[in-house]
Amino acid sequence: MIFNMNFLLLDYAIRSLMRRFSKNFFIFLILSLLIFLLASVLMIADAIKLELNSTLKTLPQITLQRFIAGKQSDVPIARAEALLDIEGISSVTPRVWGYYYFKPAGVNFSVVGIDAYEEQYSSTLTHLTQRFDMKLLANKESMIVGEGVKKILAENYYTDFFNFITPDGQWKRVPIAGVFHSDLALESNDLIILPKKLAYAIFGMEESKATDIVVKVANVKEIATIVQKITARYPDMRAITQDDIRVSYQNIFDYKSGFFLSLFSVSAFAFFIIIYDKTSGLSSEEKREIGILKAIGWSSDDIVKEKFYESFILSLGAFLLSISCALFYVYALQAPLLRNLFMGYSELKPTFLLPFSFNLSMVILLFLLSVPIYIAATLIPSWRASSLDADEVMR
Amino acid sequence: MIQLHDVCKSFMQGDESVFALRQISLHVKRGECVVLKGNSGSGKSTLLSLIAGLAQPNSGEVSVDGREISKLPEPFSAKLRRQKIGFIFQKFHLIPHLTALENVITPLIPENLSLSLLDEKAKTSMEQCGIAHKAQMRVNRLSGGEQQRVAIARALVNNPLLILADEPTANLDENLSRELIAQFERLKHQGITQLIATHDPLFFELGFVDRIIEIKNGELV
Repeated sequence: MIFNMNFLLLDYAIRSLMRRFSKNFFIFLILSLLIFLLASVLMIADAIKLELNSTLKTLPQITLQRFIAGKQSDVPIARAEALLDIEGISSVTPRVWGYYYFKPAGVNFSVVGIDAYEEQYSSTLTHLTQRFDMKLLANKESMIVGEGVKKILAENYYTDFFNFITPDGQWKRVPIAGVFHSDLALESNDLIILPKKLAYAIFGMEESKATDIVVKVANVKEIATIVQKITARYPDMRAITQDDIRVSYQNIFDYKSGFFLSLFSVSAFAFFIIIYDKTSGLSSEEKREIGILKAIGWSSDDIVKEKFYESFILSLGAFLLSISCALFYVYALQAPLLRNLFMGYSELKPTFLLPFSFNLSMVILLFLLSVPIYIAATLIPSWRASSLDADEVMR
Repeated sequence: MIQLHDVCKSFMQGDESVFALRQISLHVKRGECVVLKGNSGSGKSTLLSLIAGLAQPNSGEVSVDGREISKLPEPFSAKLRRQKIGFIFQKFHLIPHLTALENVITPLIPENLSLSLLDEKAKTSMEQCGIAHKAQMRVNRLSGGEQQRVAIARALVNNPLLILADEPTANLDENLSRELIAQFERLKHQGITQLIATHDPLFFELGFVDRIIEIKNGELV
């Protein structure tokens, strides 16, 4: 069509849009708002998925938890040694970790106890143990914290230390030895790392037990078989694989963006019904104009083409504006309000940044959901009007 | 130039079919100026619409410049109308909110001409009608006479071979009507074929009019 472009017709279409400014501006505004909302939701979901996928890659291949009477219970460390007998397992690490509820801010911190001499089960922890002197950390009974934790503590006047309250009501004063930053903000923002011994004390756990056990396997294809072997040996243990976590997270976000998509579809449908109704009932002025144009030598094709330009300009304009606004809203402003809906599942409040991810297929989907549908909704009634006898229309 | 053979046209009024034109046969030669007189509702406007290809006859043939416009596919009849016919309407039928110049160039838009050619054609046509000085004014701000001149300039912008005028003086006072008649005389001298449908007596005593045909109840008298 571009090769056969009639710029005079295009110019006429633009002038025609401007002549009915208030009506067209209203439609432009509503259409823009709808596309903006959907684009923002999909962009947020995409950015969170990207962040989660990066985070999930750092998670253990298999995590073993113990359940007694349907409730999670600590695992005897002796089992870690025993698991090494299973062929295919390359390493086993008992973990001591948990959530610490910080009442003044209403948030949970993730507290992880680590041993400087142990192999770390995640790349983030490995990186941290290389950056910070963990032996010094153990000797001084201090901790290193994520940026989010540091900020929340500082807001509550804990700049150099924090007083943990142990289950038996004792105060445990722990100095802050350092602050770390990680690209994986979801994982590290709410994180507190301290020596294992200190973690046992804060959680009131026996030192012969661990919160759970992480298992590394030599061949990822054998994960399912190894899980079977472990659960056969220890029926009270439940194995969670990296894939299980990925699927459950993705389900949450797919469900949420799917929910928004359904909402959008309903509102978009209502919108197009209104548009169809509005344009099919062309005003007498518009009908008369079509009649005059036919009388002075325009064909129905010319009229439909002109109406196509009008609706294309309007819908493409709305689409481009909405996508630009959505990009700015999600990535520059970090999606205030909407992001909370997505992050609402979490007990923590990490102040992480939504990482930029431009998903072309999503933009194409949005384009197809808006521009062609709008054009079709407006073109059909215009075509119907243009195929009437000009004589009849002008009378 | 115009050839009608046994043309019939009827409209539906409720369940009843009402004849607007019956068995009309007419021949208008190139360069001829013909006045079609008749009272309101006699079928003058319907006849002009059929000649312009704006409506289709129920039976019979309508040809313009050797082409049977009544049987041409819509895009071709539109092209014929655009390139060979200028239509002057009783109620002017200008597009409000557009300027006089924009109204005049509107028939040329589908032709996709260059801007310079477009400008030249519009200027010539508007000068010919004495309305060039109002080119940038919106037509809804012009007087009736000025609007009629814009409508004529629009009809002439494509250098048509045929002018069809439907009650062109119906909305004009006598002075403006005489000015318009002078314009028709100039067109006659330029060799443009004219078919003017009117019941204005001013047209019945004009020297440049070749023929006056009367239409009554859809039939030529």
